[in-house]
Amino acid sequence: MRGMAFAVSMPTIAPVTHESDAELIQRAGAGDRSAFDALYRRYARPVFGLALRRLGDRGRAEDAVQETFASIWRSARTYKPERGPGAPWLYAVARNAIVDRGRARPEPATDAPDEASSDPGPPDRAEQSWVAWRIHRALEELPEREREVIALAYWSGLSQSEVAEFLGIPLGTVKTRTRAALQRLSQILEGEL
Amino acid sequence: MTDRDFDDLVDVEGLDADEAARLRRVHELLLEAGPPADLPPTLERPPTEKREADILQFPLLPRRRLAAAVVLAAALAAAAFGAGFLVGEQRGGTRFDVVRVIPMRGSGGALASIQMGKRDEAGNWQMHFSVSGLPKQKEGGYYNLYLVKRGKPVVLCGSFRVRDHTTTVTFTVPYKAKRFEGWVVTEQPPGHHTPGRVVLST
Repeated sequence: MRGMAFAVSMPTIAPVTHESDAELIQRAGAGDRSAFDALYRRYARPVFGLALRRLGDRGRAEDAVQETFASIWRSARTYKPERGPGAPWLYAVARNAIVDRGRARPEPATDAPDEASSDPGPPDRAEQSWVAWRIHRALEELPEREREVIALAYWSGLSQSEVAEFLGIPLGTVKTRTRAALQRLSQILEGEL
Repeated sequence: MTDRDFDDLVDVEGLDADEAARLRRVHELLLEAGPPADLPPTLERPPTEKREADILQFPLLPRRRLAAAVVLAAALAAAAFGAGFLVGEQRGGTRFDVVRVIPMRGSGGALASIQMGKRDEAGNWQMHFSVSGLPKQKEGGYYNLYLVKRGKPVVLCGSFRVRDHTTTVTFTVPYKAKRFEGWVVTEQPPGHHTPGRVVLST
């Protein structure tokens, strides 16, 4: 039932603007605080998730989030929209800040394993991180009630009937919201599917 | 991650094949991405406003080190902005305006910064002291932040313990910092009552 706590605490961030990432970065680069705040609301969770996966430590991941947004504020004026959309640029800034944080305290040396690991290699991990980045960013755009249903349906381990019971809504409403959420995510991710 | 069946979760009745395929792809991406991280309370709010802080330079620093320290302080100031320290931070409704940032360095890669706030009418001022890279001390041990005069730690600003990553503490002191040469951090092993080894200095 770990997913319950997650699902309840998930919608803590204020609603997002519908401006594109590129527009917000450009406005932040011109010193617009409200644009920077909107970027923070949109990306704080994806950056933290990425940092947590890469660094494996909540404290260091928190530091990496702070460094990422300090870096975004400093370098937003260098963003060129003609070179590409905002999400990959933000991802690159976050990745660099997280790598720097990882270098700041190297992992202790360990003995070489006897057998090859079945864990994903660096290219696969990079791809997974990018997928998670896009999906978690898109989830921030869902209405709260749809985001809540997605969280419970996908990551809580509850069946649809249990989700309905937990939320106190009919099973049909759970299915309707799940489908609506997937359709909205499909629109947000348009061109990337 | 729970591997959920698309057909159990999504009612595709009435959807054309293309639309159903798109939703199935989103479903697969959700499973691949896994749950978003639960954002800690410290990161729930973005910084509130941009401010610039002066960097205080102490004569204690040799010329070459001074240049490096100024660069470090600028980096710390920028990082502190991201952390919400430099930015008219509001904790419990109390505003903290940073007017100066002082960098500190130590052996083993330890780094620290002192962010000085404005003096109040009575002559007290707050400092936010952030430090990383210091080893945890044994039970009963801690660190002290001192103002330095004639090369010696003479006035205690506060004591603190550290955890694994960056530790930030707030002290309030009534001293005029410019009458001193700088700051040092000393170890305070368990059972000792005089300043121990210097581990960080301005």
